[in-house]
Amino acid sequence: MTNLFDPELLDRCISCGFCLPACPTYALTGDEGSSPRGRINLMRALDTGVLDVDDPRVREEASFCLGCRACEPVCPAGVQYGQLLETWRDLQWTGRHRPVVAWGLMTVAARTSLLRLVGLVRRPARGAAAGATSLMLGCFERGLFPGVSRAARRLLPGVAVPADQGCCGALHAHNGQSHQGEEMARRLGEQLPGVIVTTSGGCAAHLATVLGRDRVHELSEHLVATGVTPVGEVRVDGRRARVALQDSCHLRNGLGVSAQPRALISAVADLVAVPGEASCCGAAGTYSMLRPRDSRRVLDPKLDAVEAAGVDYVVAVNPGCLRQLDTGLRRRRSRVRAVHLADLLADAAGGRALPRPRRRALRAR
Amino acid sequence: MGLGQDVIVELEAIVGSDHVRTAKGDLEPYARDATPLFRGVPDAVVWPRTADEVAAVLRLATRRGIPVVPRGAGSNLSAGTLADRGGIVLVLTRMTSILEVDADELLARVEAGVTTAALAEAAAAKGLLYAPDPGSRTVSTVGGNVATCAGGLRGLKYGVTRNYVLGATAVLPTGEIIRTGGRLWKDVAGYDLTRLLTGSEGTLGVLTELTVALLPMPATTNTGVAYFPSLADAGRAVTAVIADGIVPATLEFLDAKCIGAVEDYAHLGLRRDAGALLLFGDDGGADAVERSLTRIGELCTRHRAMEVTLAEDVARSEALLAARRCSLPALSRLGTLTILEDATVPRPRLAEMVGRIDEIAERYDVSIATFGHAGDGNLHPTCVVDRHDEAAADRAHKAFGDIFATAIDMEGTITGEHGVGAAKLPYLQARLGADQMALLRRIKAAFDPAGILNPGKLGS
Ligand SMILES: Cc1cc2nc3c(=O)[nH]c(=O)nc-3n(C[C@H](O)[C@H](O)[C@H](O)COP(=O)(O)OP(=O)(O)OC[C@H]3O[C@@H](n4cnc5c(N)ncnc54)[C@H](O)[C@@H]3O)c2cc1C
Ligand code: SF4
Ligand code: SF4
Repeated sequence: MTNLFDPELLDRCISCGFCLPACPTYALTGDEGSSPRGRINLMRALDTGVLDVDDPRVREEASFCLGCRACEPVCPAGVQYGQLLETWRDLQWTGRHRPVVAWGLMTVAARTSLLRLVGLVRRPARGAAAGATSLMLGCFERGLFPGVSRAARRLLPGVAVPADQGCCGALHAHNGQSHQGEEMARRLGEQLPGVIVTTSGGCAAHLATVLGRDRVHELSEHLVATGVTPVGEVRVDGRRARVALQDSCHLRNGLGVSAQPRALISAVADLVAVPGEASCCGAAGTYSMLRPRDSRRVLDPKLDAVEAAGVDYVVAVNPGCLRQLDTGLRRRRSRVRAVHLADLLADAAGGRALPRPRRRALRAR
Repeated sequence: MGLGQDVIVELEAIVGSDHVRTAKGDLEPYARDATPLFRGVPDAVVWPRTADEVAAVLRLATRRGIPVVPRGAGSNLSAGTLADRGGIVLVLTRMTSILEVDADELLARVEAGVTTAALAEAAAAKGLLYAPDPGSRTVSTVGGNVATCAGGLRGLKYGVTRNYVLGATAVLPTGEIIRTGGRLWKDVAGYDLTRLLTGSEGTLGVLTELTVALLPMPATTNTGVAYFPSLADAGRAVTAVIADGIVPATLEFLDAKCIGAVEDYAHLGLRRDAGALLLFGDDGGADAVERSLTRIGELCTRHRAMEVTLAEDVARSEALLAARRCSLPALSRLGTLTILEDATVPRPRLAEMVGRIDEIAERYDVSIATFGHAGDGNLHPTCVVDRHDEAAADRAHKAFGDIFATAIDMEGTITGEHGVGAAKLPYLQARLGADQMALLRRIKAAFDPAGILNPGKLGS
């Protein structure tokens, strides 16, 4: 097998290794093979036929990589690693090699009717008049966190929320079906008029790749761009809440959005910087389901840092990250709560009450 | 091919089975470093944690005649970590302890796998400066820096890594662990093995621990930029600055091609109509820095600078330094194969050398941009071609052959900071002469009788 990758993309890498310190999986193993540069060398070996898709290490690395794209902003040569990874997984995860869990999730996401079942027949928002802006309801978010879409609607009066939207296809693009992923994004683009606002960093990045950066806004980006100033304040025990942010990888590394959510949080609470807040939480799309052990190895130091920072809430801007943080914090009976940015802002405005942080007394210090 | 099961079992017994890898897919990522076009697949990758483990691996290798290639971050540009004869790649990135940072003695003791940036941060936390500042600092290791004697952006005032190594722990290929130098600035007992090991490119011993000198952190730093119609004008300005008795920390240049590439990439607002720019910076007390930068500015203006500006704040100053640091990657965006080289000539002949490089590029019909350290005559001619155009790559190599020959003619050298590695071994004899090459080989044999350590590099 030769010339499997776009040579323009693959040749861009100058093997300088600047990406190594940014990569969470390299941090776990210290082995080049699980670093961006090493993975690109594996792709080169695939490309030249030195290794094939059945090589155990090649298979392992295609799935061990979080796809967090932390390697992209630090790469001086401008390597579009995310796109290389999609091609790699297209090659790797065909037929029997596709992880079963990923396949199941994708099937659900691709079918609107099934999606509604996951959402327990909840129809979170009615269709509204076509406007210049529409709100996208993330497919899994609808099922897992229907409140997030409702909070977002409250923050964005007047946006259109067409029902039966389907899925943007990000899941497919990241799991070895980039063509279907693209197709789904395009279809969604036709259904949703004007600028598409989403509450999911992962969906935003994928949609922007297919539909163009101009048509896609993540919630925080949209609020800041349209000059919305959040109102009110989030309070805990009679004081202003202390809040940390977990960047969504694809939002930060793919779209370059990281200042906006911070600005919004600072407007309604005390924003606390936590070491490692910009690095992946291990949710990484379907990763936490495909590789639960590695996912927790990535998550644990992050939760330690969040707890040590003494915050009340940690905010996520992506449903996958929210679920990951929430599960992790509950498992360790932390007093810290994970909430979505939309929920935090809605709470400040008096719209929706957040789950209260537990009292610290429960845990020995 | 291959190491034999008994060797692998022994290696596993030394470092633990998790830290030995021999499968095809595990070796491929270690078949390259940052040098384009070179590839050499090892038979095993081994990650030791202690000097004793390193010693045991080397003893085994010497006994069995197995090549061992030490590797830090693999960021070198001279194919120095190429395992072109197979054998073991010995990766030191698990050895990352910062053992001490002493503000009274002004020194730090670190394991070889610590990154340069981590050492600099640990020093800065105590108000101290680790002066060597290679562009690769966030990834390169202190061991790799010492092994290549890395330079950097502060080279003019502060010199290169060599000036900061006080002592080293090194494991010889035969398994002895030696400590050279120590904690002292003054110590002349015996041959200076610390200096010999510095820049030995992993051919004499494996460095496991380094003691490096630190300096008090300068109170302020600032940077300015001067644009010139041509590089010759910039060269004359550099000569004038040095003649004036000013030794700034930083004095870097970019030619017109580099300015264009950097500006396309980083959008710093550099002037594209200039033929060259000089980046100058200094550190120290606020008054002294102000005085030295103002004076450099005056001298540049007197030597036909079109414009001189000083950074108004730290952020702008950092942005200007970033412009210099990103020259290589910015140039790499222009094509798919970027070959960066590293030649040095006596400082006053810098502009002349760049002129000669331009002629050579024209003769071979390749595009070569040049940037570098104007303060110490160290230039990085960089050729960007299409990876799939073999004829062009071939012409580029021939052009570099001429460039090295020209540098030697001008009483310069074939590498100022990146080292010889496998990439430049063919040019080394032209620089050193046959007698010195023979001495190098005798020194190599004294350290490494079986010839197992990084074969095919310096001293081979
Ligand atoms: C974008 C970019 C910018 C750069 N900028 C600079 C610069 O400004 N100045 C500069 O001088 N260089 C620069 N370099 C080159 C490179 O970063 C340096 O040569 C650096 O010192 C290599 O360190 P490393 O840890 O990556 O070593 P490696 O590349 O892993 O090894 C380099 C050599 O040292 C040997 N070695 C490594 N560790 C040990 C050890 N513990 N004991 C014995 N031998 C060892 C290896 O065998 C090899 O010969 C740059 C490189 C890149 C890609
Ligand atoms: S930083 Fe970019 S160019 Fe450098 S090794 Fe990583 S991917 Fe390649
Ligand atoms: S996407 Fe994330 S995990 Fe994968 S190579 Fe890049 S930095 Fe590492």
